[in-house]
Amino acid sequence: MIEDSTTVIPERVETEAPQKGFMGQNVPRKEDKRLVQGLGVFVDDVKRHGMGYVHFVRSPYAHAKIKSVDVARALELEGVYGTLTGDEVAIHTDPFFQISSPPGAHVKDYALAVGRARFVGDPVVAVVAATRELARDASELVEVEYEPLPVIVDARRALDDEAPILHEDAGSNMSWHGVYEWGDLEAAWAEADHIVRIDELHFHRFNSTPLECDGCLVEYNQGVGQWTIHTNNQFPGFAAIMMGPAMRVGLDKLRFVTQDIGGGFGNKITTHPQLVACCLLARKLKRPIQWTEWRTDFHLSMSHGNERWFHEIEVAVKADGTLLGFRCKQLDDAGAFLRYEPLGGVIWAQVAAGLYRWRNIRVDFTQVVTNKAPVSPNRGYSRMQQLWFTERLIDIVGHELGIDPVEIRKRNYIKTEEMPYETPNGCIYDSGDYARCLDIALDLVGYDRLEERRRDAESRGKLLGLGIGSTLDSGTNNFGQSQLINPDLQFSGNNEVATVKLDLFGEVVVTLGTTPQGQGHETTAAQVVADIIGCTPDDINVRPGHDSFWNSHAGFSGTYASQFAVTGLGAVKGASEILAGEMKKLAAVVLGVTPDEIELAEGQARMKENPEAALPFMALGAIINANNAGLPEDLDVTLNARYVYRPAFEVPDLERKFGNLTLTYATQIHACVLEVDRETGVYEIVDYAGVDDCGIRINPRIVDGQVHGATAQALGAATWETFAYDEEGNLLTPNFYDYHVPHAMDMPPLKNGYIESPSPFTPLGAKGMGEGGGAGIHAVCAAIQDALRPIGKPIVVDSHNPYQRVWELMQRPEATRERVRVESRS
Amino acid sequence: MLLPPVEYVRPSSLADALAVLEADEGARALAGGQTLINVMKARAAAPDVLVDLAGLEELRTISRGADGALELGAMATYTQLVLSPEVNESHPVVAEVAETIADVQVRNRGTIGGNVCSSDPTNHFLPLMVALEARMTIAGAGGERTVSAEEFFLGVYMTAVGPGELLTRITLPGGRSAGFSAVTLGADGTCIVNAAAGLNGGAPRIAIGCVDAIPVRAGEMERRLGGGELGEEAVREAARGLGAGLDPPSDVHASAEYRRHLAELCAARAVLQAAERRRG
Amino acid sequence: MREPAAHKVVKVEVNGTVYEREVDARRLLVHFIRDELDLTGTHIGCDTGNCGACTVLLDGHTVKSCMLLAVQADGASIETVESLAGEDGELHPLQQAFSARHALQCGYCTPGMLMSAKYLLDNNREPTEGEIRKAIQGNICRCTGYWNIFEAIDAAAKGEVSA
Repeated sequence: MIEDSTTVIPERVETEAPQKGFMGQNVPRKEDKRLVQGLGVFVDDVKRHGMGYVHFVRSPYAHAKIKSVDVARALELEGVYGTLTGDEVAIHTDPFFQISSPPGAHVKDYALAVGRARFVGDPVVAVVAATRELARDASELVEVEYEPLPVIVDARRALDDEAPILHEDAGSNMSWHGVYEWGDLEAAWAEADHIVRIDELHFHRFNSTPLECDGCLVEYNQGVGQWTIHTNNQFPGFAAIMMGPAMRVGLDKLRFVTQDIGGGFGNKITTHPQLVACCLLARKLKRPIQWTEWRTDFHLSMSHGNERWFHEIEVAVKADGTLLGFRCKQLDDAGAFLRYEPLGGVIWAQVAAGLYRWRNIRVDFTQVVTNKAPVSPNRGYSRMQQLWFTERLIDIVGHELGIDPVEIRKRNYIKTEEMPYETPNGCIYDSGDYARCLDIALDLVGYDRLEERRRDAESRGKLLGLGIGSTLDSGTNNFGQSQLINPDLQFSGNNEVATVKLDLFGEVVVTLGTTPQGQGHETTAAQVVADIIGCTPDDINVRPGHDSFWNSHAGFSGTYASQFAVTGLGAVKGASEILAGEMKKLAAVVLGVTPDEIELAEGQARMKENPEAALPFMALGAIINANNAGLPEDLDVTLNARYVYRPAFEVPDLERKFGNLTLTYATQIHACVLEVDRETGVYEIVDYAGVDDCGIRINPRIVDGQVHGATAQALGAATWETFAYDEEGNLLTPNFYDYHVPHAMDMPPLKNGYIESPSPFTPLGAKGMGEGGGAGIHAVCAAIQDALRPIGKPIVVDSHNPYQRVWELMQRPEATRERVRVESRS
Repeated sequence: MLLPPVEYVRPSSLADALAVLEADEGARALAGGQTLINVMKARAAAPDVLVDLAGLEELRTISRGADGALELGAMATYTQLVLSPEVNESHPVVAEVAETIADVQVRNRGTIGGNVCSSDPTNHFLPLMVALEARMTIAGAGGERTVSAEEFFLGVYMTAVGPGELLTRITLPGGRSAGFSAVTLGADGTCIVNAAAGLNGGAPRIAIGCVDAIPVRAGEMERRLGGGELGEEAVREAARGLGAGLDPPSDVHASAEYRRHLAELCAARAVLQAAERRRG
Repeated sequence: MREPAAHKVVKVEVNGTVYEREVDARRLLVHFIRDELDLTGTHIGCDTGNCGACTVLLDGHTVKSCMLLAVQADGASIETVESLAGEDGELHPLQQAFSARHALQCGYCTPGMLMSAKYLLDNNREPTEGEIRKAIQGNICRCTGYWNIFEAIDAAAKGEVSA
């Protein structure tokens, strides 16, 4: 139910449901044929004659002055083509645009370290050589003199007086600070029967480690000053906005070309520093420049997920378990540079309330820099942290007050009949049925047999626990939320582009603005087009990947933030409808009828009343492209349609931090049953169910695939994956040997369920999905907490729970219990 | 990532291999390469010459001696061990442990000789060789010599194989039943703590890995167990306090405290497994 | 005896074709396959031999080609993903089953995964789920969570290759 509010509710889109054709079908993927044959084109597969291979010399210190750089010996090595240093970068480029307001605004960030290295792995010099091996050899001949500086690794100490300051121009390690408050906390706290206080919770640092690392092959056309950047960057719109001004060139001089990308998950968004370095080298050395990131370098330097601390937490709750609100301080660790940050400082607000109906929320949010890898989007970006937090709150409150975790959720879940639901901060949850999804998940894991299974586990020396993780995947951002971070920013809304044309011989050709990394865009786009223009997906050629020169992109083009089903397919739908309209118009002229009397089906434009009177697509294409004499002068038909999809957004109310930040909200409710070995803390997931609701599913099998992948990554993060640092800022998990990701034998059995709550706000009723919300992380936390109840009721306070931590919870339950206090009013 | 410059040779006889190793101090044997190639990629080691042992068929044989002993050629791969009828008959624990090392691709190349010669404290075969009283035969220009497993492992990445020498075979005395227990980083992953126990009448021989530079004998536990019954209670009681006597490392995978705790558990579990095998 | 050398001419059969090339002793087999022979289906995903994206068959057994030197393959016979489809372009049953069961998303792990799956089925016609998991334990996938891959291999083993 939408109370009076100043938020603008997106218009309900009256979708004329396309004929039930290919939408909703498990159409086989177009991408597969080349990928299963190893014929995909990933960035390292691209070769150019005379190309030079780049190796970056990286700082071995977490924090150090760069006293001198000497590349003379490297240049002497035969086969070395050249180098690039920070000094050169500082001359030829301006610092990257900073999103933050002061002090974060004063951070100076360049393509290479200038004057200082600020994290282990910070690129300092680029060396280019004829072979990969020579570039590597030459890098060892580069002499860099460092003067180590004190290191700050713990975000909680970053604002201490004694903390070393990373960015002198900023004068502080604070990247951004803001206070969000909605509702009436005073009244809520007065009304509460209990205040549950929690000292500290922690969401750990990890990311999705896509199997393919970042890379590029850059060519520079000196005559016209044009760069062609073959790359796997997944958000070229953002990269261009960052790179153009820094390089002092217009954006059209940066042509981005991608084809196949080996996974992105958000982690391939902030490669612009390396891309700039390669662009400068291509111009300087007058040859194509090739860079493929090493796995170790990816772990050291690229796109860690936000590590977030939650402090001074209070939850106001009534005796019957109704949650009235929460307040807290949040401390976000951005690492050494702000490359997409501090947007993480507002993006969490898309799901500020989680899935719950509390109306009184206060978050005092601070982000700081530390001598660690820069943070930038990771699957579930910033919302995952907030959702884990709200789930922890509800679980801990239930745990302490003796309220069953299922019951407390059902009592507090937003109800389906309240949708579209306006949250306390003006976000509109479009649709969903959380309680129903929860019931399905519980049913799938045999909830009614839980106690029986617990006893059976006990007889085998194991502790069994059930945990629930309920999350949302908010998709299609309103970039106006960036103005909550910095009111001077000129970003708002969102867009995506597609073109659909009918070629001379009747071939249907589609271009997208997106950069898929396995989400099957070619396939789902073809499904949408096929239904609208009346043919089959096989008839449609969707060009793979992205190319700026197709002119099929806009400022926000890319594949990120769970939005393709809305923005990308919205653009495809729009372009297809334009094309369909033109095809009917043209056919009508040729057949001497009105466009209303024409239908498109089976690859033809034909008269509804007399299907024999038909023009195949080839005929239409031929007329417009090569045989157009005699057509009416005012016939506005090109058969080459371009459409920009733009969701209806307003800039939020900056003072109240209030407004709709995302168009759609997909639901993920997961249930996890695990058994803990009392002696070792080793646990095994014995039953797991994930229930998903992303509205209308364009291709159900592709949706399931995304759900599987998100689940697997969440389980990896819960148990094994962590970017852990020592006190000197050394990353302890810099490769797949130490950073264990789940392998085939690590996977539990998985059950899936789904419902479809169509979105009233999108062209197809679909919602973006794919990131998931990290539901698995909380499901595991909650299951561990449930399992350990008999061993002193320890509280799970961290998102990362390797076996040792579980063992420690059993050894010293009081250590976490100390952090929680319940203050009850009578 | 990428190797430093190196020379390569693939000798066709043991004598030739030893000659190269003798002649060049910077020469290093290349067995399966599942460790050495990675070490060189990371530039943590830079031998001048790689002596590829792939051509030395005589180092790949697996056979049983008349006295029931099992002889494993140093170049026998993990896959060979898994599939060998001789190994499965006389020392099934060796096949079982081999099958838990990493994955199929690694097992197709990795060798038991490489496993012990790299002497990485987390390797599976280190404590197992000690528990099984393995005899390690080392060949050099002057002939062959044999040392016990305990004399073989000298430190992290350090063994009794000297310059100009090669481990050629490992001999496991017959009549043992054995057990092995590990807690790993993921299924079939790197060991966090491991332990092996060998039974040959009398008291078990118990060796614990991952807790020190070389495998540690659980002497006190062995003494407590003596030649007595190896029931669950007795074995767990004997293991109690074992951890306190250890000084294991703390790293990102486990704290010293957790390793001490796991060491007790793995030692007990290994002994119980060996006892069960003996019964069965 | 041949002397140690920093460069060698290697003769290696790849997907049925014999190549003779001079290589640096330190060149990894995976780079030889990708850069020298332009067979870019075999991929690189890590630098510690953990991910398996580089998996090929060497003399009929799966190996990780990032942990082998090209010189070690002298005289050997290698099969890469490019050898799976028929001359006429007909996809191998595993390739069909992977597509039918959505066992690939980004496709980066897929070549290595297919080679490991082929190795399994060439040696075991009726693998259990446990055997399937064990067979691809050395192939990391970050997109699918593996579940569809288990199903695809199982389906291929049973000859059920369509959706």
